[in-house]
Amino acid sequence: MAAAVVVATGFGLGYYAQALSHLGDTASANSRLSYEDREIGGGNSIVVDQEAAYEARGLIPPSARYRVVTGGRLRNATSLTGSFVDGWYRSFLIPRRRSPTASWVICYGCDVGALGGAYTVRWQDDNGISIGEVR
Amino acid sequence: MSWRTILGVVALNAWFLVVGVGVLFALRGWRSWGELARLCGLAYMLGIAATAVVLVWALVLTVPFSVATVIGAGALVALVAAFAGGRTGRRLPSRPRPRVPGWSLVATVSAALVVVYCEAQFRAGRLASLTEFDGWFFWVAKARAIFSFGDLDPQFFRELPHHGYPPLVPTLEAAAMRFMGSADVVTLHLQFWFLLVGFVAALVGLLAPRVRPLFLWPPLLLVLVTPRVSGYALQAQADFLLEELLAVAALLIGLWLVDRSDWQLVAAGIVLAAAMLSKREGALFGACVVLAGLGATWRQRRTAWPRLVGVGVAAAAATLPWWILLHVRGLGAETPEAGGIGLFSHLDLAWPSLKLTFSTLFDYHQWLLVVPVAALAIAGAFVAGARRLPSYALLLFVFGAAALTYTTWAFPSIPITKAPVNPIIRLTGWLVLVTPAVIPLVLNEGWDAE
Repeated sequence: MAAAVVVATGFGLGYYAQALSHLGDTASANSRLSYEDREIGGGNSIVVDQEAAYEARGLIPPSARYRVVTGGRLRNATSLTGSFVDGWYRSFLIPRRRSPTASWVICYGCDVGALGGAYTVRWQDDNGISIGEVR
Repeated sequence: MSWRTILGVVALNAWFLVVGVGVLFALRGWRSWGELARLCGLAYMLGIAATAVVLVWALVLTVPFSVATVIGAGALVALVAAFAGGRTGRRLPSRPRPRVPGWSLVATVSAALVVVYCEAQFRAGRLASLTEFDGWFFWVAKARAIFSFGDLDPQFFRELPHHGYPPLVPTLEAAAMRFMGSADVVTLHLQFWFLLVGFVAALVGLLAPRVRPLFLWPPLLLVLVTPRVSGYALQAQADFLLEELLAVAALLIGLWLVDRSDWQLVAAGIVLAAAMLSKREGALFGACVVLAGLGATWRQRRTAWPRLVGVGVAAAAATLPWWILLHVRGLGAETPEAGGIGLFSHLDLAWPSLKLTFSTLFDYHQWLLVVPVAALAIAGAFVAGARRLPSYALLLFVFGAAALTYTTWAFPSIPITKAPVNPIIRLTGWLVLVTPAVIPLVLNEGWDAE
């Protein structure tokens, strides 16, 4: 039992400074992030362009439906973009609902000709991301 | 990320504490105001557990979710508790008489170290971004849905991953968002800071008058400084809340083994109910806690077992509304791929799963030497002649390790690895957090036996 107490005390005190240092480093790193970096969080390795996320939230009305369509014309995509961009927007854009037939489209390098109607672009960037409506 | 949002989280947690004080009054009362101050951590954990369970029931019954609902649910719990306390003849003590607590040097220094550690955790969590995958992928997404729609929206809860996971954590997060006034996923991390502090305070408050400071503080400090706890305790997902609740329940049952006070079992039942509504694994690990209690009371089974089984059944019954809702909506409960007899079709996974469990529990880079310290303490207490609490702790670890092995074995599609695709590292945290809750009691009993 004494050994348990000695080991716990030794390692507890020994790693205490390291834990505080780690927490201090984390606090410093977090404080250096921009507001957008913090809010988008895990999405920073997915969305390619933070502005696209904020434009989507600004343009698509809260009661509207939308769909995320991906394609091969996206530039600067990460290895996570294709698999997770839809899921990330699903969380970020709540209360907006997803629907495969929605008129609002968040196009990630998609084939706009295959969207099923005339696509009016409301915002786009140089990476091949656009946000618009299909009519 | 403003003072308003921080004050919102503070207000919510102050409310949980007030509710918990009511529950504590009903369960045991307090002989002095100093005793109440000491038990504030337990009161907070009881308040959060009881209120969150009632909030989940309210969501299942389609009661609109709002600040008023959170306050109403807490008020309902506190009123029922106050009424029950009054019926049992509890009285408040006379006016508080201020006096300086007589803490030993070990306790004073250790408490100061823990306070500084918690302050560092606060600074780290204060501006943390939501980077954890499960957090943004479904835990916080569900919270956002509850916050935005005021209910368990059928479309979102069908489409979001893991629809079968019990919703206590998203409910708690949504309550924090309501009190913050926005779905602020950054300040949300402070809710988990309050949970960590409440957990630590509960352990210290329950154990300080019963065990020697050298048995209480070193295991607690060791667990807090592990890379896993210091790096991930404030993540906005369910793992640490589940583990904190389980550890408090394990401690309460451990205390009951010594005291046989029924309030300890009722409190354990409340906390276990919240654990079982936090994650699917809550039921499995909660059963381990109850089973360990059953094993440790083998000789008194006629009187002890009905009570312990009652705790487990009552806690499990609290989750029934959720499972009924899943059934009504035609959603599966996401049971293990190879649960039940399916395990026998994958016997080849049994040994690798067990090896993964042990290599993770003893992983120095995650948990330092927490589990070896627990093993040393249990062995030492047995050698010293103690039986009851070392048996309980040993059974907790044996059943716990078996349950952890099951979580890998029963999901053949998940690779047997410590990589994040397998949740084994996160899940082993429950036995690690049980260590500072139960091992001080084991050490104390062993010392007394010697």
